[in-house]
Amino acid sequence: MLLEVRDGDETVVFAAAAASVQIQVEPVGRWFEAYVKRRNRNASASFQELEEEQESSEESEDEEFQLEEYLMLRTLDPKDWKNQDHYSVLGVPHLRYKATQKQIKAAHKAIVLKHHPDKRKAAGEQIVEGDNDYFTCITKAIEILSDPVKRRAFDSVDPTFDNAVPSKNEGKENFTDVYSPVFERNARWSSKKHVPKLGTMESSFEEVDNFYSFWYNFDSWREFSYLDEEEKEKAECRDERRWIEKQNRASRGQRKKEEMNRMRTLVDSAYSLDPRIKKFKEEEKARKESEKKAKVEAKKREQDEKERARQAELEVARLAKEKEEEEAKQVAQQAKKEKEIQKKAIKKERQKLRTTCKNWNYFGDEETDSVKMMEEVEKLCDRLELTSMQSLNDILASGSKEDSKVAVEKQVQEVNAQLQREKEAEVQMRQASRSADHASGGGGGGAGGKGWNEEDLQLLIKAVNLFPAGTNARWEVIANYMNLHSTSGMKRTAKDVINKAKNLQRLDPGQKDEINRKAFEKFKKEHSAVAPTIDNAVPSERFDAAGNAASWTTEEQKLLEQALKTYPVSTTERWEKIAGAVPGRTKKDCMKRYKELVEMVKAKKAAQEQLSGKSKK
Amino acid sequence: MAAIGVHFGYTCACVAIFKDGRADVVANDAGDRVTPAVVSYRATEQIVGIAAKQGRVRNAANTIVKVKQVLGRSLDDPETQAHKTETKLQVVNKQEKLKYELTVGEHSEYVAPEDVAKLIFHKMKETAQSALGSDVTEAVITVPFEFAHAQKRALREAAEAAGFHVLRLIHEPAAALLAYNIGQDCSAGKSHVLVYKLGGTSLSVTVLEVNGGMFRVLNTHTDHSIGGERFTEALAKHLAAEFKRTFKHDLSSNTRAMMKLMNGADMAKHSLSTLGAANCFVDSLHDGIDFECNISRARFELLCSSLFNKSIQPIRPLLEKAGLSTSDINQVVLCGGSARIPRLQHMIREMFSDVELFNSAPPDEVIAVGAALEAGLLVGKDGLAPEEESVTVDVSANDILVKEVDESGAEVFTVLLPSGTPLPARRHHVLSGGGELSSFCLEIYQRSVKEQPEKLAKIVLRNLQPKEENHDIDTVVTMKRDGSVHVSCVEQNSGRPEVITIAAAS
Repeated sequence: MLLEVRDGDETVVFAAAAASVQIQVEPVGRWFEAYVKRRNRNASASFQELEEEQESSEESEDEEFQLEEYLMLRTLDPKDWKNQDHYSVLGVPHLRYKATQKQIKAAHKAIVLKHHPDKRKAAGEQIVEGDNDYFTCITKAIEILSDPVKRRAFDSVDPTFDNAVPSKNEGKENFTDVYSPVFERNARWSSKKHVPKLGTMESSFEEVDNFYSFWYNFDSWREFSYLDEEEKEKAECRDERRWIEKQNRASRGQRKKEEMNRMRTLVDSAYSLDPRIKKFKEEEKARKESEKKAKVEAKKREQDEKERARQAELEVARLAKEKEEEEAKQVAQQAKKEKEIQKKAIKKERQKLRTTCKNWNYFGDEETDSVKMMEEVEKLCDRLELTSMQSLNDILASGSKEDSKVAVEKQVQEVNAQLQREKEAEVQMRQASRSADHASGGGGGGAGGKGWNEEDLQLLIKAVNLFPAGTNARWEVIANYMNLHSTSGMKRTAKDVINKAKNLQRLDPGQKDEINRKAFEKFKKEHSAVAPTIDNAVPSERFDAAGNAASWTTEEQKLLEQALKTYPVSTTERWEKIAGAVPGRTKKDCMKRYKELVEMVKAKKAAQEQLSGKSKK
Repeated sequence: MAAIGVHFGYTCACVAIFKDGRADVVANDAGDRVTPAVVSYRATEQIVGIAAKQGRVRNAANTIVKVKQVLGRSLDDPETQAHKTETKLQVVNKQEKLKYELTVGEHSEYVAPEDVAKLIFHKMKETAQSALGSDVTEAVITVPFEFAHAQKRALREAAEAAGFHVLRLIHEPAAALLAYNIGQDCSAGKSHVLVYKLGGTSLSVTVLEVNGGMFRVLNTHTDHSIGGERFTEALAKHLAAEFKRTFKHDLSSNTRAMMKLMNGADMAKHSLSTLGAANCFVDSLHDGIDFECNISRARFELLCSSLFNKSIQPIRPLLEKAGLSTSDINQVVLCGGSARIPRLQHMIREMFSDVELFNSAPPDEVIAVGAALEAGLLVGKDGLAPEEESVTVDVSANDILVKEVDESGAEVFTVLLPSGTPLPARRHHVLSGGGELSSFCLEIYQRSVKEQPEKLAKIVLRNLQPKEENHDIDTVVTMKRDGSVHVSCVEQNSGRPEVITIAAAS
């Protein structure tokens, strides 16, 4: 129970309320979350009443809106409801597509209260009976506008909407002034909310880009079912309904296409006229160009740098080379000079020696002696070194004739000895090389001369001719060939073969001819000897094989086989023993039989292989 | 979108999933709704849960229990030392970090407490996933109120290492309130709630103020010396004495036998919460002797009576410190496994005779359920930054009152806006006055705790039409963030308004 007011009491504030305090709370619970959310949004409203406030604000909007009486309302023809403006009928022409469902309902309520036939009747008005009364228009209007689908259809063809797209000439002068209201007007068809605005001349590239990408991908909810010529509900049967549907769909599609074209034209023309786009394009172009320029410059700089580096390198190399050459030249000159000096000195010394010798009359009294001595001295001059020549000259200059003679003779002897030694060494060397030749030539050969008998030589010539120069690993191949075909049974290496071939080449052609002739003779002899035996042997063998085959009984065969097994190949006098084991058969018979058997087995195997090969194929 | 709440306790962990607007505790693969927070390290594997707890008898040196006690602590922390002596685990410093030293197989291994916690979290995640049938990462994890920053961080890191996306760490008492939906339906009103949590190793009593849907901890008390394990120990001691009396063998030196007996006593204790008597049976307890003993609930209560007293005793001093009496408490929430003990519930009910006692949900699951509810609130929203652990809120400092008279004519004060209401706030009241009067006077007072009310303002409504029934006056009190009060009164019949604004003291 509240207190009663005493006299003289007034509404008054006595004191200040205590300031709020801050406390720490547990970060849990939905109220805490709401608090945090509010704090983050910086909303100041009390959170408990957040929802309430929203509601109340809606209510206040309801209060605000006013109804505008539609003057033509009474003259409307209910049959022509399709062409009426439903918003005007309900008295909300100023709100149109922005009107909330609540507002429409409220407007309808108000208008019904005023224009319902019953009300008007009560007011003494004349009422047209049936559907012909204009109240039907109101009913129709609320029917359309209260159904979101139907309302959208009506909104799509809102008669007050300006479909016009400004022509290019219009937009040239002041682009934003012309186009921004157009885009704002068309924004209402967007399925998405928050349609980007055209913006101003100062809009950033992102904004403009965003704007055009939005409008190029414009997703419109506008549809044209309201303009359908046929009404589906009127159809009497399913087929008719289908037909109507088809008609309607076609016309709707047509209109939708037109609408899309319209939007496209609008955006296209705006895009082409937009000075910002031009500006951005130019900027972009300029940027690209500058980038390109910078790139080219960088590349050029880089190349220059490279070129410079290369030049510097070359220069350094050239200098180094020059220096080297210079040095080499100097060294060469030095050497030449020295050589010349030495030469001069030697010449001088020689001259000296000669003159002294001459002076001493070559230490000989007789002509022959002196001539011989002259020869010797010349030899000395030729052979002696500078130093020894000098020392000799010194001795000659200082000493008497005899001393000089002794010295010169000594020198001559020495020189001669040296010459002799050299000669011997040369001879020895020559001999050694010759002997080496011989040794390698007959390296492996122990038997018969140098190891090369005529047959081998023959074979070698044949081989050399067979494998001409250029054959891969020619000498190895020849050696191999030799080893294979030689009757001497000696193994020859490629080196041996090379040496022999070289020797042969060095031999005079006569010898070669001889060898060839000999070889031919031998060949003839061998051929004449061997060929007849072969000719004779074949039939006999055949005969033998045919004749003896029958005589070998199975028992004998068994015995033979047994004997072959008992006496292995290594056994001495194998065949005698085998023959002994097989009664009534000689050694020869046994051997023959064995050979036959081997042949048979081989033939059999070959046949089998052939067969298997064929079958494989 | 599913989210989960994990209660990671000293002895046990529990996970609840939030799905389709409901929070439910999930049973683990062993079929238990609560998983022991025990990890056993073997040569080839790590075992988490009941198997590890039971295997502790044989693998005590490598079985880590109560890892939460050392999580985020340093070696020289007294808590760590206490943990070391109690669990007989080797705790060493390795590379400036606290590690357990275990002997796995032949070689010793160093395991960080965070890794142990990670394994437990991983187990909880698996449990939740098996129930949901899909991967779930969004989680709210509860921490005790006394956890320091480092401990919280260690726990968060362990949970993240296990693959969780930690939405928020919330305090256990707050989670318990959420589980019972306290203060969530209607934000108005102010109440005091006591959360009594008796877990396995710790007792924590917290008194919270719930105002405007927000929870504010007024005072809290934690005691690590009392908990479910103490009761089990007392029971085990009694059983050991029984054994000694019957078989003349002393068990106290046989640690393995004591562990076995502890396990048996634990199960007997659980049964005694629902049954009047329980049988404790341990195979081959000592020297191959099987042990069997029957314990009645009365016996158990007698054994633990001093412990019960000890666990109830901190409540009163706590309330006194917060400036409250037992009658100021509107609700009491029980949580923690040991709060199941009937004797304890009885004692608490005795203490708070006419108070709503929330114990309908299993007390060891309540916190996980609360965490799951919070996770459900948070999932899919951008929450607070992790470093923003404590959030401060502007609240009204004083009660805003209006002076009225009761039937007998004595003056009474009616609270229009209680102190501690998060600001800005708006409260709507309908005050009534006698129908025969033609004028009313609303005297607005403010009052801080227990002091005399101070008169703030007077609102006068005159020239009302006297009528048969009472006059109803719509009064809206709005307080802004700075504490300034705006009062508007409208007499319903005549629509006569009167508005006043009281500025806040700076």
